[in-house]
Amino acid sequence: MEIYLPIAEISVNWAMILAMGAAVGFVSGVFGLGGGFLMTPMLVFYGVPPAIAVGTEAPVIAAASISGALSRWRGGGIDPKMGFVMLCGGLVGSLAGVQIFALLQGLGQIELVVTAGYVLLLGSIGTLMLNESIRTILAARRGTSPATGKRSQHNWIHGLPLRVRFRRSKLYISVIPPALLGLIVGILAAILGVGGGFLMIPAMIYLLRMPTNIVVGTSQFQILFVTVATTILHAVTNQTVDLTLALLLIIGGVGGVQWGVRVGSRLKGEQLRALLGILVVLVACRLLVELVSSPDDIFSIVVGAR
Amino acid sequence: MRNHSPIFLIASLLLLAVPLNPAYAAQDIVSGVSTDLIQISSDFTGTEIVIFGALEGTDPATAIQDYDVVVVLRGPEVELTVRRKERFLGIWINRAQMGFGEMPGYYYLGSTGPIEEIAPPQLLNRFQLGAEILGETLDAEIGDEDAMLFRTAAVRNLAREQLFVETPEGIEFLSQTLFRSRIPVPATVPQGEYHAEVYLFRDGTLLTLQSSPVFVDKTGLGRRIYEFAYSSSLAYGLFTALLSCTLGWLGFLLFRPR
Repeated sequence: MEIYLPIAEISVNWAMILAMGAAVGFVSGVFGLGGGFLMTPMLVFYGVPPAIAVGTEAPVIAAASISGALSRWRGGGIDPKMGFVMLCGGLVGSLAGVQIFALLQGLGQIELVVTAGYVLLLGSIGTLMLNESIRTILAARRGTSPATGKRSQHNWIHGLPLRVRFRRSKLYISVIPPALLGLIVGILAAILGVGGGFLMIPAMIYLLRMPTNIVVGTSQFQILFVTVATTILHAVTNQTVDLTLALLLIIGGVGGVQWGVRVGSRLKGEQLRALLGILVVLVACRLLVELVSSPDDIFSIVVGAR
Repeated sequence: MRNHSPIFLIASLLLLAVPLNPAYAAQDIVSGVSTDLIQISSDFTGTEIVIFGALEGTDPATAIQDYDVVVVLRGPEVELTVRRKERFLGIWINRAQMGFGEMPGYYYLGSTGPIEEIAPPQLLNRFQLGAEILGETLDAEIGDEDAMLFRTAAVRNLAREQLFVETPEGIEFLSQTLFRSRIPVPATVPQGEYHAEVYLFRDGTLLTLQSSPVFVDKTGLGRRIYEFAYSSSLAYGLFTALLSCTLGWLGFLLFRPR
């Protein structure tokens, strides 16, 4: 059951890794989420060095987003122009993120930044999910529809220069906000090993005011290309992409996602979403404990080849 | 992995044992290693190698009391960085760090007693025995007292990962003159050229030293992936991304509803 990971230089249980891929894929399928924000902490808990976990997540997310991007491309659920603008920002962000990653690794601070980043990320996502689902559940009991954010006609975004017409999004807005959004998500992808859909999708709906039917496809288009670029950049700059680990996670994930999609379509969403929210908050708490509790040994070592 | 029967090896070595230097013929050692090649294959979870030998030209009745045997397995050189965490705004953060240059990435020392009692400090330093492997410190701004803390921390952390083992009970005598040392090699060992060394001491004097190379190498697919990733990292990155996308796409075709 043991397999030696050639880049991570550790020995892991391959069945366990396949199962982790399937479990995260399943959750992704049920909720329509990318799995990066769950997989990276799970790999670290398992004992994979954080740098390898982050670098290896890039190809895994690319593999997970390709089917969605392909099917939505055919169905016209992607705004290619918007996707391209976001992608330009995303590539710059990925390039910057990989450099920041290398710098932090040299300073010995990468584990701290990854852990703290996940505490903030999972803490806020989990709280938002929990909040939203509880409100929906309560509203359903009262027999009313939950209050949704109103789409006002104008916001600060419409005052920015460099405006371009995005035909499929039915928007005439500046390229600065989507490019900036892509940039932030690209940095997150490179440093934390996430796709960034959880940030991009709400921002596209509430800030850019894109029609909801092309939001998911466009974000998957952006994630696909940014994670492909991040894979290559991490491989070149940091040598933190483990092919064996990535393939195991992808193979586990492919089956898990399909299973999750089928189960998800039959389940009542809100209770499950609340459960997932609790799970995500718990993982954030566990990571927070790691940051603040006294370590067994305040000294640690890093062995590097000469 | 090539596993020779130790008995077979001991027998053949005893036959071949022709003392090269007659002056030392009276007190010599014949030794061997169970393997000269450890292959890290895809199912590698660590292994054990055995260094064994026999005391020659000694009085069997008192050999164990009179002589000290030290067995060392020394890995390829690496750079070690030790970091110390400090609490900052409630969070533990790596602050001070200290680098140790040129030390073996794996080190095992088994002896017939505490190494400091076997040989004087200058010999320990000259032959890099025990914690002496840690060498000179690279960071000057850390005071002597702190430097000592960092040194002990380095040894403690390496020992926890089984990359530094020093044991005064590391030599097992099978008879009056025949000894053996079983060396655990964990899955995390660095690859490269190792040296298996056998030292014979008497009253703090080194009588003889034998060294033979042992190679630790990745093998099979794992080795190819490793070499690919390090020698042509751009192509490796492209290949990984392409293969991942292909797998994702195949999964999509395979499981597409209807």
